[in-house]
Amino acid sequence: MISADIAIVLPEVFLAVYAMAALLYAVYTTKDKAAPALLWATAAVFAAVAIWIGLSGGPVQTAFGGAFVDDGFARFSKVVILLSASAVLLMSEGYLAKRDLLRFEYPVLIVLAVVGMMMMVSAGDLMALYMGLELQSLALYVVASLRRDSVKSTEAGLKYFVLGALSSGLLLYGASLTYGFAGTTLFSGIVQTAQGGQLPLGLLFGLAFIAAGLAFKVSAVPFHMWTPDVYEGSPTPVTAFFATAPKVAAMGLFARVVHDAFGGAVGDWSQIIALLSVASMFLGAIAAIGQTNIKRLMAYSSIAHMGFALMGLASGTEAGVQAMLIYMAIYVTMNIGTFAFIIGMEKDGRPVRDIRALSLYSKTDPTGALALLVLMFSLAGVPPMVGFFGKLSVLAAAVDGGLAWLAVAGVIASVIGAFYYLRIVYFMYFGEETEALDKNGSPILWIFLMGSAAAMVFGVFNLFGVDTAAALAAETLVR
Amino acid sequence: MAAGHDEAKGNGFVGWLPVLLSAGIFAFFLQFLPQIAAGDTLRVEWAWAPSLGVALSFLVDGLSLTFALLISGIGTFVLLYSNSYLAGHPQYGRFALYLFSFMLSMLGLVLSDNLIGLFVFWELTTLTSYLLIGFDNESPKARRSALQALLLTGAGGLAMLAGLILLGAVGGSFEISQLVPQAEAIKGSGLYVPILILILAGTFTKSAQVPFHFWLPNAMAAPTPVSAFLHSATMVKAGVYLMARLHPVLSGTELWFWTLTIFGAVTAVFTSVLSLRQDDLKQALAYSTLMALGTLTMLLAPSSGYAITAFATFLVVHSLYKAALFLVVGCVDHGTGTRDADLLGGLARFMPFTAFTAALAGLSMAGLPPFIGYIGKELIYANTITAGDAATFVTVMALAANALMFAVAGVVALRPFWGKRGDTPLEPHEAPWPMLAGPMVLALLGLAFGLMPLLAEVNFTTPTVAAILGDAEKAKHLHLWAGVNTELMLSLATFAIGGLLLALYRPVRRFLEAADAATPSFDNGWDNILDALYRAAKWQTGILQSGNLQRYLFTIFATFVVAVGGTLLLKDAVNLGVALDDMNSPRHWPELVLIVAAALVTASSRSRMLAVAALGVQGIAVALIFISFGAPDVAITQLLVETLVVVLVAVAMLSLPFLDERGKNDRRPKDMVLAVLCGVVVSAVLIGVLQGPLDLRLTDFFETTAAPEAFGRNIVNVILVDFRAIDTFGEIAVIVVAALSAYALLRTTDSSRDRDEEEEELS
Repeated sequence: MISADIAIVLPEVFLAVYAMAALLYAVYTTKDKAAPALLWATAAVFAAVAIWIGLSGGPVQTAFGGAFVDDGFARFSKVVILLSASAVLLMSEGYLAKRDLLRFEYPVLIVLAVVGMMMMVSAGDLMALYMGLELQSLALYVVASLRRDSVKSTEAGLKYFVLGALSSGLLLYGASLTYGFAGTTLFSGIVQTAQGGQLPLGLLFGLAFIAAGLAFKVSAVPFHMWTPDVYEGSPTPVTAFFATAPKVAAMGLFARVVHDAFGGAVGDWSQIIALLSVASMFLGAIAAIGQTNIKRLMAYSSIAHMGFALMGLASGTEAGVQAMLIYMAIYVTMNIGTFAFIIGMEKDGRPVRDIRALSLYSKTDPTGALALLVLMFSLAGVPPMVGFFGKLSVLAAAVDGGLAWLAVAGVIASVIGAFYYLRIVYFMYFGEETEALDKNGSPILWIFLMGSAAAMVFGVFNLFGVDTAAALAAETLVR
Repeated sequence: MAAGHDEAKGNGFVGWLPVLLSAGIFAFFLQFLPQIAAGDTLRVEWAWAPSLGVALSFLVDGLSLTFALLISGIGTFVLLYSNSYLAGHPQYGRFALYLFSFMLSMLGLVLSDNLIGLFVFWELTTLTSYLLIGFDNESPKARRSALQALLLTGAGGLAMLAGLILLGAVGGSFEISQLVPQAEAIKGSGLYVPILILILAGTFTKSAQVPFHFWLPNAMAAPTPVSAFLHSATMVKAGVYLMARLHPVLSGTELWFWTLTIFGAVTAVFTSVLSLRQDDLKQALAYSTLMALGTLTMLLAPSSGYAITAFATFLVVHSLYKAALFLVVGCVDHGTGTRDADLLGGLARFMPFTAFTAALAGLSMAGLPPFIGYIGKELIYANTITAGDAATFVTVMALAANALMFAVAGVVALRPFWGKRGDTPLEPHEAPWPMLAGPMVLALLGLAFGLMPLLAEVNFTTPTVAAILGDAEKAKHLHLWAGVNTELMLSLATFAIGGLLLALYRPVRRFLEAADAATPSFDNGWDNILDALYRAAKWQTGILQSGNLQRYLFTIFATFVVAVGGTLLLKDAVNLGVALDDMNSPRHWPELVLIVAAALVTASSRSRMLAVAALGVQGIAVALIFISFGAPDVAITQLLVETLVVVLVAVAMLSLPFLDERGKNDRRPKDMVLAVLCGVVVSAVLIGVLQGPLDLRLTDFFETTAAPEAFGRNIVNVILVDFRAIDTFGEIAVIVVAALSAYALLRTTDSSRDRDEEEEELS
């Protein structure tokens, strides 16, 4: 019995054991000197596990009495999480090494966070949900303050921790209400209580509190306040990490909870998510306009993007989940490229974060500027870049799910949002003459920047099949 | 024109290749002409993103072929022209690439049968137009205009996307050809009004209808061939094209008719007045383009044969003369170094071919016989006088616009070439043949179609009408002479008024300049909107994103109160009466007083220690309540936890800085109000929730099994040390580890504190 369970969670077990082994190895040998090798090894392990999970198909399996679910949806999310984590690890090496921040704990913490995320998207039980969420969050609180001598970085970590703890509290409160009324923590049990469209009041509040806790993790308005501060304060590669894998995990968990546990009462949660979505899209779009720090700008950008992903979820349909997955996969790819660029933004070897420093960057580095232009257009959702197809799929899903008003609101928000992405392009091509930035020197960053931009252009032919994979994944979640 | 490049060198291969390619494309489309003229349509389709319903499908019918031929034909001439106009320009390769990409996108737009495919090409034309307007990136004006055009048309385009998606959802398909049979269902659906508004938002911004017209004259910052191609003959007609394409699906309602009539008519008249006011020839042409776009929109309002035939004719007429005139203005600019109407005059002697071309195109624009412009104007009048309710309004508007166009044609096409020689920066010289060939052919076509109207009728107007109205029989014939009728009278009136305006040109212009200066400008309005957006962004950042953790928490709790409290009120779930019965006996009063007093001390204290201690007191009071309700086990647990929390928090606080003792920024009153509200809401939730059926299986289980199986009556204790013993063990281990790490951390903070100061902001 237990061995069958272990076989299902083998990837997670493997990664957890790897994390502990890596920690012990580094502590008892060369400590931080082992960090670069450990980082590369971890990235390779992530990629290998991603391939392993991606290739393993099969029917829906559950382990530990239903607390852990292994289905197409979980596999899709895990592959995205693992690949993006691997990419971000590789991108961070040069930056961290240069600033003497490459501690051996960094890759280990990332592995632990990733194990947490994998638990989150596979959760079939409120306990498993909370465990995954906290494992992820605790690791992330620490990496946020990786630069522990810097006031800004520690402040970021502390803010993240305090607000994160509050949201965990809300979530736990909701979980206990849910348990009190459903009599079980298993999603499959809760969903039976929650049949028939109208939830009893206790479950409704349970759902609302859980949704509030999860909204914090996806940085949806009004639980978004930590995002700009943490993005700005954390070392840039860590910011890149925050913007990618954890977002996928949190969205995956969100989808899991609302469909697996509250699938019988779509009407109730659809409203909550639609409100979160519309607030996030608008706040993200409007607030970013005034930003000059590119990391804060990307924070608002991610808030707005989460609003769009939530729009897919709000529709409450299989097409909605598929759209959300497509959106997240595209979002992560775009963000990896964009952050590869941001990590490399330097002048005289010192990092620069002011977007005005990009003025006339097209003259110093035409290829890099072109790649960033493609990414910015894609983030803005301008066709024919792939980002447009992400927007299109969530808009279509929302209209399909009877939320035409939300789709219209989304379009208006994306019009406003387009403004600041285009402003970056404007600076690069038409800005005033300033001291030029250094040319992006790191080949790894360059490869990720170009690869991501190329994907945004060439993906338009068939989206690399992500849409079909997402459709299969969505099928297993929404039954 | 950017100086400092060598004109003699030419552009070589890069210059000629796009010309040849586009000529090939033109020839390719020309071969469909007989087939389409015979009433056929062609359709091809490739799958693209099938799971999203997006296909690459193309439809060739009268409407799309007319557009395709105009685009590729004028495109060929414009590329040929640019090769000389920008000869030796260091960036010519980039320019040709943008222009050619634009042409391909525009072709994709008019041929696409899939709404989403169409939208993709639509936005591509916006992007390439952005790059072309901002081509001269040294000039701040060009950059501003490029961004303005991009934002405005991009915004409209995205609104249109929402409309298209709604349309696809209502009609059940994204293929336009499959939506046409669904027209009645779409018009009857509740979403018709939002669909129409959203789609028209896109087409009106793209086709620069008032009040979105101001970007187009600004877009004239682009090099002249770009203006000729994008901002007159093709791109700006994309909006008109889409309205024509969706005419069978969306037209026929009052809303459609009046919206298009009013916006079109107002645009036509308002902008032709502005056109007469301009002193830059290119600006005058830009405003006259707006007049044409307004007229085309107005013609699409009804569904009569006259209106649509007039639409098809005027579409071709306008593209021919307007592209020619723009290119002529480019030749004048090239040959004299200025485009100022006041400086130019008597150029016919120096630039005879340019003058000849300008005259041909100008006469067509003025609507004089025997040019096709005359036929177009007659058809417009034939439509307006049969327009039912709106007949008087549209006839007067059309008359005004046409008379003004007559005057503008005179100003642009005749005044620079005849009369007294002006004072130009360069010695006037004739343009080279590649710059003359295009405009001349286009202008001659205007004459040829006028003399042989059947040629235009069979190949262009009738197939276009058939594509829009679905019936070639409804198309009207094109005549030069239709006898003495109302249309002819209106034409004569047009010439008379136009001639008068031309004769009084200078006083009229002075008057218009004064009037223009006195009215608020749309362009400034645009700046105000952008400023407002910035201010909104700043304002929200100041309020929500202060960087202050306390304020973040305040926002979250406030949201909680509003959202949960609001839900409670909406669901009518507040019921306090029941719960308070139990607490009514006086023996609970000491506990209640203790709780309230401790809470007040916690919230109002200036000292953290006191606050924490008061919180502990409150916890103990809660434990007393448990005792008085007969649950000593819970009470003991509560007591222990409270004590532990107070001790731990107090230890942690020893290493924190003190509160602001002077209380300059006293947040406590606000926080206290919020705390009270939170407490009320949470209590209300609990009371409301507890009235529902609670799942008590687990409670019952422990009640019945605690004593017989675990030999204990303290149920909490039994759960902790017996049923859940291993969990408890794990928890203890965690607490010990956490305490050890906290101890280690607190010990090391002192030594690292001074390092903070050196650290700069590297993140």
